[in-house]
Amino acid sequence: MSKTRTDVFKSPDALPEPVREALAAMLLSLADNKRVLGMRYGEWILGAPTLEAGIACSAMAQDEWGHARILYATLKDFEFEPTVLEHERPADEYLNSELLDDPATEWPDLLALNLLLDSALSVQVEAMTESSYEPILFKTRKLLEEERFHFEHGRGWAMRLGDMGAGRAALEAAFRKAIGPCLRWFGRPDSGFGRQLVDAGVVNADADELRRRWLERITPVLAEAGLELPETEGKAALEWEGWNADRRRAAEGALDEETLARVRGDRNRSMLMD
Amino acid sequence: MTKLVQLERRSRADVGYESEIERGMDFSAVFAETIGQNPDFALEVPEWEGPPADLREAAWRALHEVADPEFPISLPDLGLVYEVEAVDTTVRVTITFTASACPCVEFIKWDIRERLLEEPSIEEVVIEVTWDPPWTTSRITERGRQALRKAGVSI
Repeated sequence: MSKTRTDVFKSPDALPEPVREALAAMLLSLADNKRVLGMRYGEWILGAPTLEAGIACSAMAQDEWGHARILYATLKDFEFEPTVLEHERPADEYLNSELLDDPATEWPDLLALNLLLDSALSVQVEAMTESSYEPILFKTRKLLEEERFHFEHGRGWAMRLGDMGAGRAALEAAFRKAIGPCLRWFGRPDSGFGRQLVDAGVVNADADELRRRWLERITPVLAEAGLELPETEGKAALEWEGWNADRRRAAEGALDEETLARVRGDRNRSMLMD
Repeated sequence: MTKLVQLERRSRADVGYESEIERGMDFSAVFAETIGQNPDFALEVPEWEGPPADLREAAWRALHEVADPEFPISLPDLGLVYEVEAVDTTVRVTITFTASACPCVEFIKWDIRERLLEEPSIEEVVIEVTWDPPWTTSRITERGRQALRKAGVSI
């Protein structure tokens, strides 16, 4: 089905109100998740199973923080103050996934963030590569180019642990916990970030289609790694009770205070450079 | 034909830049002790024929004397400069960075601005950042590749 795009939006002002709000919410959700995900990657720079994996975590942490910074900056056009977004919000205003509330305590938990959550964010970004919202076009390809390596890292480790009895069991357990929140993150079938975003050509897929794309991306990896995860078969099992549509997550919970202070950079605030 | 230009790290902050960390700090001294005075890190720039035809070309030539903060290679040779436009005495430079979280963003912007403002005909410098098309190593020029190899960077 091809669609003729009639409108190109050069600034948020050009967008109809509901579309503008939905887009700002989506960009903020992506930015917050990437900011906190970067922190979770960063926590594994020391202590990953191999030296190379620790270095990879360092690189991925840097990427996520770069992406978050770019995304926060785009929200300036929506009359948000990026400094406030980055450094002055309380934990319950962060739109991070519940998977990021606490540090990944074991390596398979980090891999669940790496392979599952990170790629869910990428699927959402990818849906904007031909967006009618022009300012985002100058950013998406760079983000996705860097994300390719994150996916390959997660994939490589899934295969590696899949070959080990104990590793496979731990990985299955970690992935099983993460799949539901990732599938739900795209939003309810009837809403997501708003049907308006699709109709306005800002994104090219609704929540169900994004879920399908994400599954299409991760399912072959899970199969390759020999993981058995019935949770990925269809979306019938999605549970929406207690769903918070604004935060795109189960309503309860938030970042712990220590992580929040680090994410916001509280201690070194006076030395900020930009 | 090329000639060697010794790098001089440019220091001052750009106009309006006011951060706690930068105030009172002399970056040029820091860099002089690291790469600025190291003859191994001289920057190779093209030997241009004749004077520049216009302001845009003058800016383009000048940018060849702005080095990447990490490697002895100019920003155009690294493939970071996407567009140079000139209107009256204003030069607008569109650049990208190698990584979205490049830690040298501010240094690079300062260096561009400082060098361009040394040109008598340039009064204002506007720097735009874009991420599209994404930078890849394929954007490095042949001269840049040779410079990197000389510095021991495999490419």
